[in-house]
Amino acid sequence: MAAKKGKLTKVLDHLKHEDPFSKGVAFCPGCGLELLLRFIPQVMGNDIVITGTPSCSAPVLLGQNNQSWHKLSYFGTLMTGAAANATGLARYYRKAGIDNTVVCFNGDGTAADIGFGNLSGAAERNEPFIYICYDNEGYMNTGIQKSGTTPFGATTTTTPKGSVHKGKNLRRMNLALKMAMHKIPYAATATLSDLDDLAKKLLKAKEAKERGFAFLHVFAPCTTGWGYAPENTIEVCRRAVKTNYFPLWEAVDGKIRMTKTVKKPKPVKTYTELIKKFAHLTEEDHQILQDDIDYEFCILGGLSVLEGECQLPVSAQD
Amino acid sequence: MVTKTKAETKKGSQIKVITGNAAAAIAAKLACPDVVAAYPITPQTEIIEQISKFHANGEMDCELITVEGENSAMNAVMAASLAGGRVFTATSSWGLVFMYDAVLATSGARAPVVMVNVNRETPGIIAVSSGQQDMICTRDAGWIFLIAEDCQEVLDLVLQAYRLAEDYDIQVPVMVHYDGFYLSYLSEGVDVPFQEDVDKFLSVLEDQPKRTVLTPGNGMGCGSHGILGGYMELRHKHVTALERSKAKFDQIDKEYEDIFGRAYGGQLEEYRMDDADVVLVGSGSMCGTIKTVIDEKRQAGIKVGLLKMRMFRPFPGEAIVKALKGKKAIGVVDRSLNFGHKGGPFYTEIKAFETQLDGSPMISFIDGIANTDITTVNVAAMIDTICALAAGKEVREVTWVSYPEANEPEVNKSGGK
Amino acid sequence: MSSNKYFKHEGPWSDANDPLMVSDTGDWRTKRPIVDKEKCIFCGFCAMYCPIQVMEMVEASHFTPDLDFCKGCGICAKECPKNAISMEPEGDF
Repeated sequence: MAAKKGKLTKVLDHLKHEDPFSKGVAFCPGCGLELLLRFIPQVMGNDIVITGTPSCSAPVLLGQNNQSWHKLSYFGTLMTGAAANATGLARYYRKAGIDNTVVCFNGDGTAADIGFGNLSGAAERNEPFIYICYDNEGYMNTGIQKSGTTPFGATTTTTPKGSVHKGKNLRRMNLALKMAMHKIPYAATATLSDLDDLAKKLLKAKEAKERGFAFLHVFAPCTTGWGYAPENTIEVCRRAVKTNYFPLWEAVDGKIRMTKTVKKPKPVKTYTELIKKFAHLTEEDHQILQDDIDYEFCILGGLSVLEGECQLPVSAQD
Repeated sequence: MVTKTKAETKKGSQIKVITGNAAAAIAAKLACPDVVAAYPITPQTEIIEQISKFHANGEMDCELITVEGENSAMNAVMAASLAGGRVFTATSSWGLVFMYDAVLATSGARAPVVMVNVNRETPGIIAVSSGQQDMICTRDAGWIFLIAEDCQEVLDLVLQAYRLAEDYDIQVPVMVHYDGFYLSYLSEGVDVPFQEDVDKFLSVLEDQPKRTVLTPGNGMGCGSHGILGGYMELRHKHVTALERSKAKFDQIDKEYEDIFGRAYGGQLEEYRMDDADVVLVGSGSMCGTIKTVIDEKRQAGIKVGLLKMRMFRPFPGEAIVKALKGKKAIGVVDRSLNFGHKGGPFYTEIKAFETQLDGSPMISFIDGIANTDITTVNVAAMIDTICALAAGKEVREVTWVSYPEANEPEVNKSGGK
Repeated sequence: MSSNKYFKHEGPWSDANDPLMVSDTGDWRTKRPIVDKEKCIFCGFCAMYCPIQVMEMVEASHFTPDLDFCKGCGICAKECPKNAISMEPEGDF
């Protein structure tokens, strides 16, 4: 007796366009980036122009000689100036009257570290394109080195577990919140366990870029670099959300709103226990990490509450 | 100085007393770029101020990107160029170095960007002063380098640069160099052409086949990996395009004359070279001074000429050999250093053609760095030294004209000779 | 004279109007997803989460992976709400 057939997940309804990528591309099995990269054009359309830099995405986003791995128009260049490249494209298309959706697609190394200056500059100038950061918390393509978004305690090849130092002894940068503080038309976080949320945010970003800069910070775990079983990619995302390690929110013109409320957040340990890069963390280390998560969530919560209640002093009105 | 063969001042154009920076900005305006991105740096800043003013007044209908650094300026115009736009940017010194990775990417992608670089001394010594060291720092970037002597030539070269960069047979970015402080802030009479004439000059490009551009949905991608033979093929295409650009530049110079009445000679400008026995090779603003001194020396019966380098990349070796062959002695003036070589960069590169010059003796002069003036006295001394060389006397191979301490015998650190 | 053997254009352009490159990623697999058609409720979670997007609909009945490209990561099996997919060692086939 076959099981009663249910209703197809509505996420599939968002996939209105064909997957422009070749079926066989060189991402690791279970790669979060691969799912994200295939998802974006299926939601946003195959006429996006995507820019990519040296990173895990480069071997697939950029071609080899005359051949390509996908059907999208792309521009492959440097990590230092990724947002400036996208700026140049979007501005020229605007000048020439060419309809365009420029998606500047970068890892956290480009977005939070070496390319942060021009990312912030593009946001300040409210440039008309979409910047997507896929955050795998480190330089995975060069062999798993620490970046600005690598969290406290995580081991990488530049923050290894030694007899004196054990993992990264610094907190992570909250890139998405920084970007929202530019008061751009749209900023949001998203992850792969919540694809309906991600799809809606991609579409909102596409709409928002008509008014200027849109930024999406997508949490995209790395099975190879973090040390978890490939089948756990989605579960890692799910637990990151459920522990408030990676809360899901959006900010329209700087106004922050949670898009997913976690009623009873789980302790961060339920997230870290899946991942080898945290395996050495002591109770004390976990407390530091937990405090950091709570601190960031408090800011976020405060800002989203303020949005409804904060009134300008009378003297500052009009 | 310009050889005005067709018309002293073309009817309808106007003489304006403006700085070199203003000439560059006006040239950019006349070229009607789609996208301009720039960042302030002394002594270039006036260019982007002028362009911003044109933009604010609606005289320039371009997308103006006021970037947060030079690196972004180059990245933005490179991308806009590859999307199909005409672009302009300008920088100097540390700014040029800060955009270096994008400067390389631009030529590698064969984006026909036009950039003005107002020459200034460069890292690692802080010096807000003129010198061509910034140009030398980037000479291997795969760009075409042109050098202007005066404010008029700044304007003319920027317009010629668009014809060269965007030519279908070339598709290589062009950097127009001129001496910071000397030309950037010097006001002199400049013949500013009319828009319709500039449009006519540039319209030749519209009749050419269309270059490959990045358009939404067209499935083209720029920045593909060059794998093995592919890498070599692209590099070979690039160097052969650079070779082609030499004759193309000569041709563009002639076509420019047809419309605007000014010609310079293309890759090289020769001044009183025909019957010259000895030659001074120079570039940029020093050439005006050199020409004055040559005129004086000629009155004294010394047959000296000037070979002015208008193109530095690609290196106009064949034209140089043709111009210098049979000369009795040659002196090369460099406004920069060639780290690891005793002689200056121009000197070292011309020296490579020694065998083709039948062994004409050659010496190097380092002068004009850090804003020291290359005075008429300095130039006269250089010419005297070249004459001594021609007469078979022993002279130093390298002379730092304004820093005599460099010309004393070497003393080693421990104090002994 | 430069050839156009590797690049058809002056610069580093690739052209997706030519056939796309493709790797035999199916060869990487050490485990193979086996879908139990009976258990499958046709919810599409496996298709949605598959990083390679190779879960194909079989009519309106169930999903099946394209084994030419499936890398065997096991996400489909892990995310299936009905445990209708099992990962079996490739050596058994």
